[in-house]
Amino acid sequence: MGEAAAQEHGTALDDRVAEAATLLRASRNAVIAGLATDSAGAEAAYALARKIGAAVDHVAAAAALRDLEVMREAGRITTTPLQARAQADLVLLAGPGLLTAWPDLVERLSLHTPPTLWPELQRRVVVLCAGGEAPSLPGAETIEADPAELPALLATLRALAAGRTVRTDAPHGSTLRQIAEALAASRYGVVVWSAAGIDALSVAMLCGLTDDLNAKTRFAGLKLPADGNAAGVVQAAGWSTGFPVRVGFGRGAPIHDPWQFDATRMVESGEADVAVWISALTPRPPPAWRRSLPIIALVAPGTRFDTPPAVTVWVGRPGVDHDAVLYDPNLGALTAKQATAPSLAPSAADVLGRIAAAIPQEAAC
Amino acid sequence: MLTRLAGGRVVDPANGRDAPGDVWFQNGRIVPPPDIGKRPDAEHDVAGAIVLAGGIDIHSHIAGANVNTARLLLPELRGDRFDGTPVSHEIGRMYAAMGFTMVVEPAISPHVALQAQLELAAIPFIDKAILCVLGNEDYLLGLLRDGESDAAVADYAARTLGGARAIGLKVINPGAAAAFKENVRRFGLDDVVPRYGVSSRAIINALQRAADTLGVPHPVHLHCSNLGMPGNVETALATIEAAGDMKLHLAHLQFYAYGTEGPRGFSSAAPRLAEAMNANANITADVGQVMFGQTVTISSDVLRQFNARGQASPRKSVILDGDGNGSGVVPYRYRRRNFFNAVQWAAGLELFLLINDPWRVFFTTDHPNGAPFTAYPDLFALLMDRELRARWIAELPAEAMQMTTLGSIAREYSWPEIAVMTRAAPARLLGLADRGHLAPGARADIAVYRPGADLAASFRNAELVFKDGMLIARNGQMGPAVFGRVLNVQPGFDRAIESRLGAFYDHIYGVPHTAFDVPLHAVAHPEPFEAVPCSP
Repeated sequence: MGEAAAQEHGTALDDRVAEAATLLRASRNAVIAGLATDSAGAEAAYALARKIGAAVDHVAAAAALRDLEVMREAGRITTTPLQARAQADLVLLAGPGLLTAWPDLVERLSLHTPPTLWPELQRRVVVLCAGGEAPSLPGAETIEADPAELPALLATLRALAAGRTVRTDAPHGSTLRQIAEALAASRYGVVVWSAAGIDALSVAMLCGLTDDLNAKTRFAGLKLPADGNAAGVVQAAGWSTGFPVRVGFGRGAPIHDPWQFDATRMVESGEADVAVWISALTPRPPPAWRRSLPIIALVAPGTRFDTPPAVTVWVGRPGVDHDAVLYDPNLGALTAKQATAPSLAPSAADVLGRIAAAIPQEAAC
Repeated sequence: MLTRLAGGRVVDPANGRDAPGDVWFQNGRIVPPPDIGKRPDAEHDVAGAIVLAGGIDIHSHIAGANVNTARLLLPELRGDRFDGTPVSHEIGRMYAAMGFTMVVEPAISPHVALQAQLELAAIPFIDKAILCVLGNEDYLLGLLRDGESDAAVADYAARTLGGARAIGLKVINPGAAAAFKENVRRFGLDDVVPRYGVSSRAIINALQRAADTLGVPHPVHLHCSNLGMPGNVETALATIEAAGDMKLHLAHLQFYAYGTEGPRGFSSAAPRLAEAMNANANITADVGQVMFGQTVTISSDVLRQFNARGQASPRKSVILDGDGNGSGVVPYRYRRRNFFNAVQWAAGLELFLLINDPWRVFFTTDHPNGAPFTAYPDLFALLMDRELRARWIAELPAEAMQMTTLGSIAREYSWPEIAVMTRAAPARLLGLADRGHLAPGARADIAVYRPGADLAASFRNAELVFKDGMLIARNGQMGPAVFGRVLNVQPGFDRAIESRLGAFYDHIYGVPHTAFDVPLHAVAHPEPFEAVPCSP
């Protein structure tokens, strides 16, 4: 923290911006990674990447893209946390990782009470393969199984819900049959999942189940956001580039390729020659990549590094040091957070903007 | 810097002007011609060209969570042949090149207003505004169920408009999104929302009274029920009647201009609808013209979008049961050879040509629902050139053309009518005194077109476009990005609404109602907003 304070008062920030700009000017293929920042930080990262022809990834891109890949293959029907709390008379908690993604889930969805808007209804809760972190919900119907079994259980459940026959010895067959009946009998059912905890096949199965149930009743998915403000960053990526994270500007116009622009792959294969690592929300160092390269780190104070980056800029924490817009899982929407402990620490957006301004257009590749 | 546009045909119907002459401006505003002998600092010879105020589009889906979902849903369509989902910085460039200097995003649910405002802030060159969607929220439906006063509804509307920083109220198939959550699959003007016992008609009327009480310049901007369904002209006609004497704007009227005649039970009923428009001076409408090609439909009419999923092309869609309102994104391709699409195309043009008063009919494709806004140049040409229309008609299915009167209509729009429909009238409809015209004091938002044999080409790239007096585009070549403002109303209201909303949100949703507001600090520009006065 001492160093962060010193940066605020000296010329250290100017020097670091200049060093970062020098590294990026000399680079042939830079990648901006981590990107755990607010909306303004994400927009600034895309503007910088556009200028210098860099690629952009996000620390939770794999989970965010799991949801998006199912959406753009087949579509989906979803709802919001507010709507689930207000009207869901059946909540299916599917797969592990829900409480990690949203620690306040039980309270926010008011799972111990009837739907807040329809209090005359009962709220039924079903917990499927919660892994090690099942919420404490007396009265919930629970299937405890290895999360690896989730795709098979969902396949059985979907078949039963669609009225198809399944093998009599299907694992958890009789419980799944009761759950399928409950799903069909619900007035407004909601299935909750976190793509960080399950595979794409399970996400697709849940979206398909939701779709099937809407033939007769109302049902919707509630997908929990991945960490590092992934949902907020994906939105900024959408209006800035037309794509979610993992885009490259090497040819000018943005190209989206989840494999090609995976920062870890780019670094470890030697394609990337400089990385910009952004972790403004939490003190998190870059991953232990199996190849070293110059790193420009824009990180929250307190971040500890195994190997010191080429350039370290301490940036403010969005919503703590400076006002910010972040995706709020409690709202299912972007929200404006006023700084809780305003400081002079520059925001990631400020620093990225200054780095971009320090790179002449003709030097941009 | 004093600038003179010299010798163009100045078409400024708000001020009764249509003659060759000069337009002078300085410091971002139109100024009177200076004393004889005073030299301008810059002069543009525009002899032979048409000089208009900057265009204003009152209904185009350019921002917000639903538009962004469409972008993320259709990565495979991105590219230079698909204009349905341009990103923010492209939107500003593409509109400005056509001579438009303001665009209204017409469907922002209050809980996602912040995202829409961030997207608008990223759109360069043009001014912007949002309409805030009301009509399906449980709080509002509760007020109506309980027979609360008009003042209570007006306070709620004012609080929500202000929090979202919107310019007006949008009402989308009111009641249907709430009813759909109760598994209702069809919902019309006189259907009633389960549990609340409130009809769509009652919601419309209540919000009309609220807009009137608050003195919001823009009338309630209504997306009627039964969009796209054969025979829905009856819905539109009944809705016009339901408006009573109060002002009402009907969005994308073309999508309600359908009869049930002919062998396929689908025909254009645009002449009947135009007749009703001509007879009811309190009603305005934008057309929502269909043009052929790939697009994507983005609508907060969640029920309609849910029911349209089977027509998705490519075959995928996103449906959201949102807070109060909902939304649906369904990609769609309008085909020339498709009977229904050809009737839709003709019905839209019939509305343009049969509604007599260009002050009450507005130029839209409901971007991207009827077509991307990049189809505007072709649409202008179709309105201004009946021979061009005849050539299009000749190439469309004869069976479809028999279901419309389009081929018999000789009217061609004049430049003054174009100027009314796309400049003067939108500014008046939105309550913008200093836009849409070229009198001294107006903003120097100016578009210069040089008409040639290919009218569409003239509209595609205006010869010169000025925003606040700055030259931003010349023949499609853009200058450095500048940023306009977001226009919004902040009507007054009784502060007691804060505690009532607070209590409702705390219990029903478990979150503070203020969490969805758009504070100034959230938008990065130095002067992001401009106030539009209300006159209660």
